[in-house]
Amino acid sequence: MTALLKLTDVSMQFATEADPQYTVFRGVNLSIRAGERVAVVGRNGSGKSTLLRVMARIFAPTSGQVEWADGVSVSLLSLGLGFNPVLSGRDNAYLSCLLVGLSQKEALESLERIEAFCELGTFFTEPVHTYSTGMRARLGFGTALENRSQVILIDEVLSVGDRAFREKAREALEQELSGDRAVVLVSHAEEQIQRLCQRAILLEQGSVVAEGDCAEVLARYGQGAP
Amino acid sequence: MPVAPFSPEPYVTLNQSLTLVDTMARFHLKGEARQYFLGYLWWILEPLLYVAVFYVVFEKLLQNRQPDFLYFLIVGKLSFIWFSKSVNQASNSLVMNKGLIAQVYLRKELLPMAVIHQGFYRQVVIFAFLLILLLVGGYAPGSVWLWLVPIALIQALLVAGCGMLAALLVCLQRDFRFVVQMGTLFLLFMSGVFWDINAIADETARQWLLRLNPLAALIDAYRQVLMLGAQPNLSILSWALFEAVVLMGLATWLYGRLQFWIARSVVAR
Repeated sequence: MTALLKLTDVSMQFATEADPQYTVFRGVNLSIRAGERVAVVGRNGSGKSTLLRVMARIFAPTSGQVEWADGVSVSLLSLGLGFNPVLSGRDNAYLSCLLVGLSQKEALESLERIEAFCELGTFFTEPVHTYSTGMRARLGFGTALENRSQVILIDEVLSVGDRAFREKAREALEQELSGDRAVVLVSHAEEQIQRLCQRAILLEQGSVVAEGDCAEVLARYGQGAP
Repeated sequence: MPVAPFSPEPYVTLNQSLTLVDTMARFHLKGEARQYFLGYLWWILEPLLYVAVFYVVFEKLLQNRQPDFLYFLIVGKLSFIWFSKSVNQASNSLVMNKGLIAQVYLRKELLPMAVIHQGFYRQVVIFAFLLILLLVGGYAPGSVWLWLVPIALIQALLVAGCGMLAALLVCLQRDFRFVVQMGTLFLLFMSGVFWDINAIADETARQWLLRLNPLAALIDAYRQVLMLGAQPNLSILSWALFEAVVLMGLATWLYGRLQFWIARSVVAR
């Protein structure tokens, strides 16, 4: 198996009003290999989303090293972000496809599949500000499946929507993200993590405090829960 | 394992970036039009309302006796609003796209450029409207009107440079929104929109104003070409071009170095 992404001693600090050098996390070491599905768990504010953004090249870490395999593409899927609320789902999906590097022709071809997957009906051509949270998640998920990135970073998205959609999303993930693609999943849904992921890491108080088998990491997370 | 350096280089090529900017601009125009009952009609209605206001205030109420003053104002104002509207909208383009920046790895300058491109599309319609007004007003078209193209291109470059820099300033501190608004208001009065720069008696002061304020030089050039049928002052126009290139070069250089800083200052706030 080939490592697609490797974090070595990665730290992240942000300036906040209370603390000009607030540490989000420090000393994170993580290697994501092709075909792997890794869960990141931790309480709200533990830095999970920021960690995904470092992996997605959106943030540069304050210190440490992030390495991507040559030519690897990484996409972040997070809930309700990135869509222009005034534009229709169709236009947003088309733009999202262009943003991840698809050509106009490829993006147009993707639209049919996205529309079919999202099951939004006539809402697909309505402005996104008329969508419910679940509908946005469907659109986001359907669009993300088209981006063909080798590494997909998923931030909470699978925990929204109705039961039928969650099941469909899980099936789509297992079908689409097979082979050499890798998934890093941030979620609070323990059952989902156990079903989808092979291993997990636990972020707590700015550090990785547990790493390994999903059941063991989730048990440790449960012990620390208030 | 072969590794790539931590680089802000995007997945999309230059050609795809241009497609993306154009698509974003067209979609935003569509989205903008969708929000209003009169939709795209506002492209024409807005300049038409300016003309109506100028006509009522300067021709009817103040009974201005300067010949062609109404057209003088129209040419000045319709070229100025391209600058003011685009720069003000572009100044918010990075902070307004927090969601996109937080999720997608893209060159940040594409966001202000999309807004600037959006303004360019709108201005093409406004210029067409302006030319029709001038024809109706009895101004004879001639080959000298072709100067409109290079003058507009210099202004497009100036708008792009200023818009991109304004967006960076707003990233640095949101308060700069007001500074950008006040700055464009200041330029409205310093660019000879309502008064004739050529009326400045002191030739040295006039030359300095035209050289230091490229917008004043461009507005004067539009009037020279469209109203007087004369070739613009190439020396002054060259200064405007030089300043626009410097501003654009500075903006490009800064964006090349501040990709991650932009993401942090937009997302982590």
